[in-house]
Amino acid sequence: MATFPPLPMTHTRLAILARQKLPCSSKKIPRAQLIKEKEDIDYYLEQNFKGLSKEEVAAHRNSYKKSICVDMLRDGFHKSFTELFALMEQWDKLPEAAKAQSLFWQQRPLEDQPDKLDNFYHYLTRAEAAERKGYYEEVYNNLYALACYFDNSEDKWVRNHFYERCFNIAQLIKADGGKKEAEAESHMGLLFEEEGELLKAAEHYEAFHELTHGRLWKDGTGQLLNLVACESLVRTYRLLSDRMLENKDYKQAIKILIKASEIAREGNDRSMEGEASYYLGLAHLASGEYETALTVLNRYSEISTSLDDDHGLGRAYEAIAKALQSQGETTEAINYLEKFVTIARNNLQSLDMIRACTMLGDIYNEKGQYSKASEYFQQAFSTAMELMKTALMDETKVHYGIARAHQMMLAMKGYIESADSNGLNCLLSWKETRTQIEYDPILGESRRATEDNIYQLPDAEEETRRSPENQ
Amino acid sequence: MNVIYPLAVPKGRRLSCEVCEAPAERMCTACTVTYYCGPVHQKADWDSIHAKICQLLIPLRTTMPFYNSEEERQHGLQQLQRRQKHLIEFCYTVAQKYLFEGRHEDAVPAALHSLRFRMNVHGLSSVELVPAYLLLAEASLGLGRIVQAEEYLSQAQWTVLKSTDCSNATHSLLHRNLGLLYIAKKNLDEARYHLANDIYFASCAYGTEDIRTSGGYFHLANIFYGLKKMELADTLYTKVSEIWYTYLNSHYQALLEARSQQTDLLGKQFVNDTGLDEAQEAEAIRILTSTLIIQESTSTKAPQKSILILKTLSILYYLMLECSKAKEYAMKALSLAETYVSEEEQRFIQELLSVISAEEKQP
Repeated sequence: MATFPPLPMTHTRLAILARQKLPCSSKKIPRAQLIKEKEDIDYYLEQNFKGLSKEEVAAHRNSYKKSICVDMLRDGFHKSFTELFALMEQWDKLPEAAKAQSLFWQQRPLEDQPDKLDNFYHYLTRAEAAERKGYYEEVYNNLYALACYFDNSEDKWVRNHFYERCFNIAQLIKADGGKKEAEAESHMGLLFEEEGELLKAAEHYEAFHELTHGRLWKDGTGQLLNLVACESLVRTYRLLSDRMLENKDYKQAIKILIKASEIAREGNDRSMEGEASYYLGLAHLASGEYETALTVLNRYSEISTSLDDDHGLGRAYEAIAKALQSQGETTEAINYLEKFVTIARNNLQSLDMIRACTMLGDIYNEKGQYSKASEYFQQAFSTAMELMKTALMDETKVHYGIARAHQMMLAMKGYIESADSNGLNCLLSWKETRTQIEYDPILGESRRATEDNIYQLPDAEEETRRSPENQ
Repeated sequence: MNVIYPLAVPKGRRLSCEVCEAPAERMCTACTVTYYCGPVHQKADWDSIHAKICQLLIPLRTTMPFYNSEEERQHGLQQLQRRQKHLIEFCYTVAQKYLFEGRHEDAVPAALHSLRFRMNVHGLSSVELVPAYLLLAEASLGLGRIVQAEEYLSQAQWTVLKSTDCSNATHSLLHRNLGLLYIAKKNLDEARYHLANDIYFASCAYGTEDIRTSGGYFHLANIFYGLKKMELADTLYTKVSEIWYTYLNSHYQALLEARSQQTDLLGKQFVNDTGLDEAQEAEAIRILTSTLIIQESTSTKAPQKSILILKTLSILYYLMLECSKAKEYAMKALSLAETYVSEEEQRFIQELLSVISAEEKQP
């Protein structure tokens, strides 16, 4: 019990007397005085000798994270502290969550990134001080600065957190007519768009659009906010409609796309308007409303022509041709497709070219004009060859083959129906060589077509060489 | 026969006072194992803690009975340990409660007991001693003996500094008491530093929105209030009352729900429960009432905040089964709410009032 400090004692009478008599008792220094002296010594040392102050010691002993937190709290910034603390906890949890999903987590702990902590401290305390005084714009600016600071791929969730905070604060700012609110809405929209929650994103973008309607606000890069709003809204609507089309919900998709094109028109941006009507046209096409699709797509082609947008024009023609084809007006469709082919060829758009040629080939195939069909398929095939894309090559190869087979069928049928010796000879010779024959009903004889040598297997070529003897 | 003569005690055996360690001259007749230097200390100890633990001390202070087997001996030792640990906790809680009730004088003997048992169980340089030191320091502060408090705190700080595995909760307590000490010494910078540490450690241990963290906020708010930084103090006080309101309200709602679901089935009554121990209840009352007083004295501009505190207090008293006080606070809240705030708030308070009066009639 030696270490136990004595409490104020009530001494027995005898003891008191004894103490008074003892010569040393008067010299005994009371503890209070001792402690006071110790304090004086500490103070003296601190003043006169360059040692470590208490704060320096604390800074060495504690982690940086803790020092930051304590600094915040000392000055009463408890909201900042709460926020930072919650974020840090989440930060610590992230690697575990990633581990659970067996992802590799490369982000360093916050503890090792003092500059980030410094930023937190700087902006959060300023924001809180401003909030206390009711300067919400200041709060917004500080929070937004933080959000911008964390605008990189690995800290996205921190940025999102501050976007949400900005959004909540922006509701309170009334003095600027809602500009901040509009900005916050756009951030929220972006946030939800990235997360794939398009409905919510659209909601926020709608609010953004409404707030910027008829205003001449500009953002940091000098773009009109209203235009930005229109663009984002149209983009979101399009993504939404894509999703709906996948689910075969045509009515909803068209409704949304009509909205989108209205907004695009308001935005006074021709190319955006064209884009919107193109997608609207495609949606109409998908739902089977060809007439409306055609009018919408025509508008798109008009806009594209006025903007000299060849790519857009090509797309318009393609879509129009599809619509016409579905309606059964093949000649018109062929017209448009040929236009499309020339545009594609002029712009060296090989993929477009292949698509157009294939479509043309298909139409001719259906119409029974097999030689034309095979001609277009051949074009498609040779373009695909140039591109060296196997998947495309295979596809066009098959198309081409089918067309060629159809072409030959006619000749065969002619020979069989004629039922004379000549026809029989031709059939027999074909059976030996298995090469291309063309039926000439007037001459009644077959002659081997001078064929392109692109699509011929090696043994087929050999047979071609040997064929004159057989004839 | 409660007087003993130190000279008559067998050689080598020293009987010392339970409170001050001076040679003993009296003995407690009830347990016959506790000694005092005089009636003053005996009375102090009896009022504080001895009345509650008198009989519990007997098995600890008499020699162990003779055991026939090793097994029994082990068992006996374990039981002894368990008893001591129980006493540690018990004395600690009692002392804490006295402190929150402001009876600092009474807290000292109880805290001393806790400290002594801790020393027996854990040894002299264990971290386990820290909470007891802190209690003693707090009691000394309450009694205005700053020097003594500092002594205890230095002791505690040294122990913590030396130990490697000290829980955040202990750290938090230490810093809170250091903060209080520096408040008493009027060194507000230092005090703020320690209270900030307290909040940090408490947040690490329990989270930022816990009632055990609220104490740090409350003291910090007091400092800023003293410095006349009203806005700052105000946000902190609001934070404290919100923490308590959330906690108590969740208990209150859970109770109401449990009642509404099950009374019909079993006809069983649910006991009101705050989920707090006595010390925490005392702390809650102290914190909330002083916040209320400050709130009322500073501004009539923010009735919302006053209402929040009044509501919290009312729920607290209701859960503690003190219906008359609960009613009083609820009435106050209602009268404020009627003039200022929305109907929803009023409905909530009226509901609370009806629940309280129902409770009042029952027993």
